[in-house]
Amino acid sequence: MASRILLAVPAHDEEATVADLVARVRRELPEYDLLVVDDGSRDRTGRILDELGVRTARHYCNLGYGRAIQTALKYAARSGYEGLVTLDADGQHPPEQVRAMLEAFGAGGFDMLIGSRYVASQRYAGAPLGRRLGMRTLSLLLSLVTGQRVYDTTSGLKAMRRVVFAPLIRGQFLDFHAEALVYLMRLGYRVGEFPIAMPERLHGQSMYGLVSALEYPLKTLLLLVLGLTQASLARREARR
Amino acid sequence: MTWTGGLVIDALALAFLIWVLNLVRIGRLYVGYGVILVALAAASAGVVSITPLRAATQAALARLFGAGGPLVVALCMLVLLLAYVLTQVTLLASRLATLVQELAIRHAAEPPRSSRPAS
Repeated sequence: MASRILLAVPAHDEEATVADLVARVRRELPEYDLLVVDDGSRDRTGRILDELGVRTARHYCNLGYGRAIQTALKYAARSGYEGLVTLDADGQHPPEQVRAMLEAFGAGGFDMLIGSRYVASQRYAGAPLGRRLGMRTLSLLLSLVTGQRVYDTTSGLKAMRRVVFAPLIRGQFLDFHAEALVYLMRLGYRVGEFPIAMPERLHGQSMYGLVSALEYPLKTLLLLVLGLTQASLARREARR
Repeated sequence: MTWTGGLVIDALALAFLIWVLNLVRIGRLYVGYGVILVALAAASAGVVSITPLRAATQAALARLFGAGGPLVVALCMLVLLLAYVLTQVTLLASRLATLVQELAIRHAAEPPRSSRPAS
């Protein structure tokens, strides 16, 4: 199964961290294929990836995190991979923890497993107030509509099975967060969380600034409602 | 504004809301634009449904523009036009994104270029 799983790293202007991440992935997970989606980086990220000989899907302009994940999904689907693991390029997702996560993924029969910062403590300690509030609201909302609590709806560390590639490529999602989880869960796919420890970000900055902190919940909420509708329609279609 | 007038505007706002949501659902309208248009429709419906808000808006419009009726129609037309333009922008952006993704996948399918010495 190992060689049939693709590790995908969306990267945008990550020259400070990408080489270290690639080295750690190669050291810790040598049996897996690695794909970096260079999402229109304007710094040296692309050159570093070339120097390292990493398989790279290069976006000629910045399309955003969601589209970068979608590119990885399309590549994995077309290349016949049985699974896909996404990691952030800022090094916050330790490759050292991915092996244990993949073991749990295989053993648990999940269709998607989320590397979760909060499932162990079931609290949002350490996150800034706004983020904590948003995460708690989205998590409660998700539990309300699916009946299952997911504590870390915004984690970029995810393992997914091939069966979810097609619905994720087809659907309308922002960053494959709560809106995608609701959609998959309502379609009957098994989603779970795996506890991980995530170090503080050392380089770069979060992709969520002040404006997106206001925009993000509204967009996610809208897509969440639409995802529910879409999943109901798909289920009705499947029953016919 | 009469009670019936308010009801007509509410019905129009609801129809607009459903249209916008469906456009987002089928990928013809970017969700960021959708949020703005949904907020606009909800605000319009709210203004005509809540009496003190409606009275205040009517007074403000009358003070600024005199008779408010034609102005509301013109604003509605502008919003519809805006929605149409945004669907076209979304369509174009979506096609461009697909093209960029296809090129990226083709690039990834080639063997990686490496400047590392062979081990």
